[in-house]
Amino acid sequence: MFTNPLLIVALAITGAVAVWGIIDTAGLAAFAAYLVGIQFSSRAWFIMLAVSFMLITSVWLALSRYGGIKLGKDDDEPEFSTVSWLSMLFAAGMGVGLLYWGTAEPLTHYLIISEYEDARASASLALFVTNFHWGLHAWAIYALTGLVIAYFGFRLGCPSLVSAPIIKVFGANRLTRSVGWLSDLLAIVAIAIGLGGSVAMGVFQVKEGVDALFGLQDTGLGLTLGIFVVLCLSYILPLTVDLSRGMAILSNTAMAVAGGLMIYILLFGPTHFVMGGIVQAFGDYLSGAFTHGFRTFTFMDDRVGNWFRSWTLTYMVWWLAWAPFVGVFIARISKGRTIREFICGVMLVPTMFSILWFGVFGGVGFYGILELDASILDVVRDNVSGVTFFVLGHFPLPALTIAAVVVAAFLFIITSVVSAAFVLGMFSTGGDLNPSTRVKLSWGVVLGALGLVMILSGSIDAIKSIIALGALPFVFIVLVLVVCLLKMLKQERLGPS
Amino acid sequence: MSNMLDTFMNVEVFAFIGLLVWLYFKPNAPDDNERPDT
Repeated sequence: MFTNPLLIVALAITGAVAVWGIIDTAGLAAFAAYLVGIQFSSRAWFIMLAVSFMLITSVWLALSRYGGIKLGKDDDEPEFSTVSWLSMLFAAGMGVGLLYWGTAEPLTHYLIISEYEDARASASLALFVTNFHWGLHAWAIYALTGLVIAYFGFRLGCPSLVSAPIIKVFGANRLTRSVGWLSDLLAIVAIAIGLGGSVAMGVFQVKEGVDALFGLQDTGLGLTLGIFVVLCLSYILPLTVDLSRGMAILSNTAMAVAGGLMIYILLFGPTHFVMGGIVQAFGDYLSGAFTHGFRTFTFMDDRVGNWFRSWTLTYMVWWLAWAPFVGVFIARISKGRTIREFICGVMLVPTMFSILWFGVFGGVGFYGILELDASILDVVRDNVSGVTFFVLGHFPLPALTIAAVVVAAFLFIITSVVSAAFVLGMFSTGGDLNPSTRVKLSWGVVLGALGLVMILSGSIDAIKSIIALGALPFVFIVLVLVVCLLKMLKQERLGPS
Repeated sequence: MSNMLDTFMNVEVFAFIGLLVWLYFKPNAPDDNERPDT
């Protein structure tokens, strides 16, 4: 069963990180922060350039003659209707992160921007920066990674592995096999550590929700660990049986709850203020997102530089960490689509949704600051995990809406862990589309252990550093994959030489 | 020391970008020139 060297090495590395983190959480967090600090100081320009390059390449591919090429054989038709495909793309992008950061992120940016700008201009800028983090640049990373996997998998018949394009394009020899093997390994490490962070964030949010629901105070680590144990027990069953349809139902339920919550806040909140903010944010994004992709804040002071590293750079690296995982998912549901359809769907629809989401949740937060009182900023400073619940507490039926967020967050984490265990099982067994239960369970344990490490670190900043450490090497791999794709597309157009 | 480290890390990136450009223009592996079965 465990004879595959890649599986053994990947489990050993991620398991070792988990054990180190559990034994010496502070030591691991400090080590990660040190290494990530060096990387971010020296290579910030490269990360931003790489991400902007991916956006430009995606747009160019969609508009070029390559846009008409199908992800599959020429007579393949899409497996899902366009509406159902788009809604599944929503689900991929609508993770627990949006629930967690909906109000908290724009307001956190507001805290620092308002030290340099007027309060109302700061709100606008804070919303713009948030939309930048969750917008086209993020989805260009996913789109290109998914495109590479879909093109090589469905059109050229390669296995759904990160290494497959490298071996296909540069030939199977010792060097390409070694580079491919290393790429698969780094993808696995990036996914596993990235998902551990999401598990921790989700558990923090569920814990805050339970506190708010039952009026608990100072529950500390005990309740957090209790929720974590319930979560682990909840995802064991889906890992042992094939519940792909059940998982889709859980994911769609979480999506529906989150979407319903957004509409509820929009209708019961200051609707004109929120809608005005959304339209303005959309315009700001259209006019500024492209150039913002090249901003490195090199000439600003250390405070802004640190903010840039701990937010913008970390987000870009975070998307890279998730790219192979989300890429495999969006590739699987996109067979039969053209490259143009794929890129437009993957980039535009989730970006529009993010602008709406942050416009509603951020807009309500800014209404509180600018038109009422600024007490929400104290919550942002003291307890970022509780911001969403603080907002919901000011709306009718808070018990119902808080319970809805808790349920949605819980469902998002379970579906993410189960899907990730499947993708990790697939990657670590040479592209096996049905990895064994034992392999999936092993990954489930590792993901749980990594989640525990992040929980014990107790700090969102520590979580960000550990994720960035796991994901940084993937910047290089994604760029190699893009070169593979461009070479193969060029060859397909020119024909065999 | 930190300046040396910074230089080294950036030289690595320059070399990587050079490698990407070289890989893009390098002829494909001869046994992988089959067109997709369309």
